[in-house]
Amino acid sequence: MTVEATAYGERRAELLVRPGMSGPDRRRSLADLTDAWIAGLFADADGAATGAALVAVGGYGRRELSPGSDLDVLLLRPRGLADRSAARLADLIWYPVWDAGVRLDHAVRTPADARRVAAEDVRALLGMLDLRHIAGDVALSEGVRSSILSDWRGLATKRLPDLQAAARERADRAGDVAFALEPDLKESRGGLRDATVLRAIAASWVADAPHAGLDEAQRTLLDVRDALHTVTGRSTDRLVLQEQDAVAHHLGLLDGDQVLLQVGSAGRTIAYASDVTWHRVEQAVITRRGRTRFLTGPRRISATSARAPLADGVVEQDGEAVLARDARPAQDGVLILRAAAAAAQNGLRLAPHAIDRLAAECPPIPEPWPAPARDALVSLLGAGSAAIAVWEALDQAGLIVRLIPDWGRVRSRPQRNAVHRFTVDRHLVEAAGRAAALTRRVDRPDLLLVGALLHDIGKGWPGDHTEAGMVVVADVAPRLGFDARDTETLVTLVRHHLLLPDTATRRDLDDPATVTMVAAAVGTSELLDLLHALTEADALATGPAAWSDWKAMLVADLVARTHAVLRGHTVAPPLRLTVAQESLLTEGQLAVSIEAAAYGLEVTVAAPDRVGLLATVAGVLTLHRLAVRGAETVSVGGSALQVWTVLPEFGTAADVAAVREDVRRAIEGRLDVTDRLRRRDEAYPQRAGHSAPPARVDLVPGASETATVVEVRAHDRPALLHRIGSALADAGVNVRSAHVSTLGSEAVDVFYVVGPNGGPLSAAEARALAERVRAALG
Amino acid sequence: MRLITAIIKPFKLDDVKSGLESFGVHGLTVSEASGYGRQKGHTEVYRGAEYTVDLVPKVRVEVLVEDADVDDVMDVIVKAAASGRIGDGKVWSTPVDTVIRVRTGERGPDAL
Repeated sequence: MTVEATAYGERRAELLVRPGMSGPDRRRSLADLTDAWIAGLFADADGAATGAALVAVGGYGRRELSPGSDLDVLLLRPRGLADRSAARLADLIWYPVWDAGVRLDHAVRTPADARRVAAEDVRALLGMLDLRHIAGDVALSEGVRSSILSDWRGLATKRLPDLQAAARERADRAGDVAFALEPDLKESRGGLRDATVLRAIAASWVADAPHAGLDEAQRTLLDVRDALHTVTGRSTDRLVLQEQDAVAHHLGLLDGDQVLLQVGSAGRTIAYASDVTWHRVEQAVITRRGRTRFLTGPRRISATSARAPLADGVVEQDGEAVLARDARPAQDGVLILRAAAAAAQNGLRLAPHAIDRLAAECPPIPEPWPAPARDALVSLLGAGSAAIAVWEALDQAGLIVRLIPDWGRVRSRPQRNAVHRFTVDRHLVEAAGRAAALTRRVDRPDLLLVGALLHDIGKGWPGDHTEAGMVVVADVAPRLGFDARDTETLVTLVRHHLLLPDTATRRDLDDPATVTMVAAAVGTSELLDLLHALTEADALATGPAAWSDWKAMLVADLVARTHAVLRGHTVAPPLRLTVAQESLLTEGQLAVSIEAAAYGLEVTVAAPDRVGLLATVAGVLTLHRLAVRGAETVSVGGSALQVWTVLPEFGTAADVAAVREDVRRAIEGRLDVTDRLRRRDEAYPQRAGHSAPPARVDLVPGASETATVVEVRAHDRPALLHRIGSALADAGVNVRSAHVSTLGSEAVDVFYVVGPNGGPLSAAEARALAERVRAALG
Repeated sequence: MRLITAIIKPFKLDDVKSGLESFGVHGLTVSEASGYGRQKGHTEVYRGAEYTVDLVPKVRVEVLVEDADVDDVMDVIVKAAASGRIGDGKVWSTPVDTVIRVRTGERGPDAL
């Protein structure tokens, strides 16, 4: 059957507007019509006589033709056919197609060429796996198809890593179908190309994809692409904002938001299927080869299946965070967050089977959340970009909505806005991720991270999103266990999250009234710092148009002027002693007690004061696997009293007698804590983890008249306090009091130190001290 | 035709925009700019550290107008952008040969 070019054009045009003709039926009909035309051209050129064959590859091979799709066609020439004859035959087919104005992606190859190209270029391979005979010698087409397929099956374990690397690179470049406000239906993660990759993996027999909803999702994306091609009249795969309403209208949907919701949900399905499938591929390849060159996150999988502890109930195995054998999810609701935080902090993925088990077994976390739950949430968010994948995996399993029900209102929610690049939920997670890099600039990293996560939560409700957000946060924050004061701070952060950029760009900064207004709104320097960091994180998470050096300069100028008005830097008040503690102090002897507290254990140490006592005790606690979460210390006369809040790292209770004995031995110089810690550190594998911002050491001038005040903000790690304490001791200064708090994985520590004369250090000495502490943490 | 370029303080943009709109100018281009003139830089103290702001954030506004409107439009901008303090900016005009509206292909004053 021959179809002339003009007849093809007319019939194609008729097909594209035929009522009731849409979706897969139309794509197939378009492919059939095109087949008939091309086969006619091949016959007219007497192609059969040459022994050649004409085949369709890629989307055309799958009979998935959208109105603007290219025709991917390959002319297979038998080995005996002369170059000139092959070129003449090709010209007779390609020219009429070009003349008809149809976009053509073409090549002429011998079977050996085709095999070689497929073996060298994964992208060409993906197309050729869908090879479909159109005209000419069927045996030739069939031979090429089966040889390419068997090559692929034979070498799949070698070539899949390249395919995975290509998929990762594409995802980094084109973003996510599910979260982008202008997704690329083909190239973005969760797009049509990922669906093609899944088919290729299935064809390799290495692993199969979970089928639930996959065909449906792919169909949705193809239908939207058909509509996009139709309304724009162009071959484009990026669903840009200005076309979304027209596409919706064409598909019979209410508006562009509905299109984005459908596309987002399809994208999530495909992306999830991809994650699971790649995971199965990795597992299969590990078992087959013992070694692998797959990359997962920042580090490589080791071939061994050794388990290394990450947190209570969480271990690392094969480059993933999994549940420990003794984990009891059914009795431990917080395990969800602890496992997620441990995975993100170590730059690992949370294993799918671990997530399934957490989802099936974990009871709800009681409200208000206990401190360990809140802490784990903060630690998860504090992992920055590493948190995003873990968060997404929890969300896909429905765990985020279970933890924070209000999240359901913003999940996958599009926002019609030229500046934003992400859906609301992804914008919030992204903002928290960006905030993680700014935690050194604030004295409450936990409030910054949770504030960033919730700042736009009001977008899930009608009306002004700031007002709605304040109401939601006033309700959510206490449920997460924040006290009334912190809740108020969070609500203020939401209320004013646009104050700084709006004011900086639209008001006269030289006008004292402008600065006075901002100062009155924020109230304190601490809140101003929080708001400044939130502003930057929010803008960076919005999109490239929302933040620039120019805007940063204006906002920084406003913040500096407002700081000058607010002045002052409040630091923690001194410890108030209980009667029992006072009597311990006056005895002037070594006493150690350990009691269960609301959060972990409370360790009280009374000892004769001396330079380096803080470092010594901190080191002993670390040796006993007690993670320091907080500490208050005070020196009175010749004695020091320290009250530590510690958390057993792996859930096992500490041995009081052993801790007491080691403190005594260390004080008496019979136990070299520093050396023991160093040796233990060396015995453990180094994990890349995520890259935390560098530590920051500040002097707080004017905070005290009788001591020099040093403030340290750093990423928490084992023996952090021991290091700081040792640096202070090496400088010969005495710690008169210390206020240590660890928020999630960020430590904010304040030290009141005095020199050998018992008074504050000189300015030069203080600067040298800060430099020494900085060096110790570097 | 002439191109009017104005470098103004960022917070004056809204005033300039509404001034131009009430005059009948409906299209303009705005970009972020930084620089200094007689205002020079200034020194700030932030968290105990001194730093010098040698470039001051400004907004650059560009408007295409017919020759006859040049003086009026420049007056509108100057009036709207003035705060009376140093660093209020500058406005200038340059001749323009040809203008084409991309969508329709219209040329010259029709394209304004």
